[in-house]
Amino acid sequence: MYALIDCNNFFVSCERLFDPALEGVPVGVLSNNDGCVIARSEELKAIGVAMGIPAHKIPVAQRQKLVLKSSNYALYGDLSGRVQRVLAQHVPALEPYSIDECFLDLRGMNGDLENLGRDLVKRVEREVGLPVSLGIAPTRTLAKLANHQAKRMPGRPQVCTWPDAASPALDHYLHRLPVKEVWGIGARLALQLGDLKISTAAALRDAPEPWLRKRFSVVVARTARELKGTACMEAQDLESPRRSILCSRSFGRLLNDPGQLSEALRHHCQRAGEKLRRDGMLAGAVGVFLRTSRHNPGPQQHHPLWTSLSFASADTVRLNRQAQRLLERLWRPGYAYQKMGVMLSELSPRRHSQPSLLDGCEPVRQEALMQAWDVIRQRYGREALTLGVQQQQSAWRMNSRHRSAGYTTRWDELPSVRSG
Amino acid sequence: MTIRHFAATTLPGSTSQLGERRGASGFPSPADDYQEAPLDLNHYLIPRPASTFFMRVSGDTLNDAGFHEGDLLIVDRSQRAMPGQWLVAVVNGELALYRLEGQGSRWWLRGGDSRQACLPLEGNDDYRIWGLVCHVIHDCRRPC
Repeated sequence: MYALIDCNNFFVSCERLFDPALEGVPVGVLSNNDGCVIARSEELKAIGVAMGIPAHKIPVAQRQKLVLKSSNYALYGDLSGRVQRVLAQHVPALEPYSIDECFLDLRGMNGDLENLGRDLVKRVEREVGLPVSLGIAPTRTLAKLANHQAKRMPGRPQVCTWPDAASPALDHYLHRLPVKEVWGIGARLALQLGDLKISTAAALRDAPEPWLRKRFSVVVARTARELKGTACMEAQDLESPRRSILCSRSFGRLLNDPGQLSEALRHHCQRAGEKLRRDGMLAGAVGVFLRTSRHNPGPQQHHPLWTSLSFASADTVRLNRQAQRLLERLWRPGYAYQKMGVMLSELSPRRHSQPSLLDGCEPVRQEALMQAWDVIRQRYGREALTLGVQQQQSAWRMNSRHRSAGYTTRWDELPSVRSG
Repeated sequence: MTIRHFAATTLPGSTSQLGERRGASGFPSPADDYQEAPLDLNHYLIPRPASTFFMRVSGDTLNDAGFHEGDLLIVDRSQRAMPGQWLVAVVNGELALYRLEGQGSRWWLRGGDSRQACLPLEGNDDYRIWGLVCHVIHDCRRPC
């Protein structure tokens, strides 16, 4: 069994934790350089402010009723790490999937999983202070859907458990679920499937796998198998194209050598950059995690670090430079690392990218370089051209006028508590 | 452009670890058998880092109770408060210091300011409590 735990309206919840005056108010969080709305409170959704809308396009009359915050990745990254730390105390294996989502591998755990799930949700909500929801199912694809269901539940804790993939209730649900809601099935793929009379999740589940593999791809065929209840996908196969990209891999053996770790990270960054460009996206934030093995005695480390880019980018060189800096901060001497990964978040379509007056946008030269890069690697193989070079960093500034304080990461910005 | 693999020596905290210390001759030092880990305030003050947060006291109403302007509070969200203990509560959209008091099944929050009315905690009013104040760190060099 697998579980997916997801922080509800994560960025907004982080802002509210230290600024309770935002409770009950429509709140939005803006992408880097205060560009577009990338996170919304329920109140903001209710008054009809769309996801992704540029801040300056929100009507003035509406803007007076709501609070917009600049994104504060140092805070979000810290709280995301705390959520994972709490979870790691209670489940044997977790796979961070994005800054606000985490898969839990519950294989081999006995007892009442629903109860375990409720306990985990209550613990995270109390100990870290962020509302979360949890879905439990035999596969990651189903766990993601279960999580979606949990979010709609009234009351707390929001937990939805589907112990049996063949249950009539789940079957009923999949018959009513549009196929585009299934993880990994994008809008375009959903249209193609629809043309072939596969318009619901149940229809996809029941389609013959060899045919799906031939007509579409291995991933679509595996998705069908996952819907039947057979786990056959890794977390990184399940990325949703619009939200985040994850490239991670376990090492062949436990590692601590900084040179080798750095090299592994370069490798992941190259793959992440390629995925990003393949989807025509730019990333606004980069995260890196280094994980020790639970089965190995010695100090444990799980939590990732995040940083945001001054402007959204699909430049592998730039992504790698930021990622390497995070690695330097994560690395501890003597720790035996088992797995490493790089995560890209705050994805936006390249064609909608908003150049910033102060910081500019991706130089055309870099775009051309990355195009050439992809072509060469496609034609002559991935080993033909690899990233072994890091450029000097240039000082950069961010436009973030409404950023909250570094409540958990800076001594001089701690939240203040009124006495009396 | 320069090729730069970062070396172990450039990373923070990469000095030799306990138990790896060698004498000048390269042989293990005889003192190794008697080594103990140095005292670490983190272990003492922050046994549960995931749920522990730092905050600053603002205002001087609670000087008599030992909370001064600018003092550092170590607040743990995972611990249940008992009567008589101090906690950070959410009151009127603000984080504020209160003492938990109780009698029988009735619980309430009392602020430092005696003019301030007690805030009763009803069964479903738990959201008012943000976390338990476990330690307060006062810089004795500061005027208060």
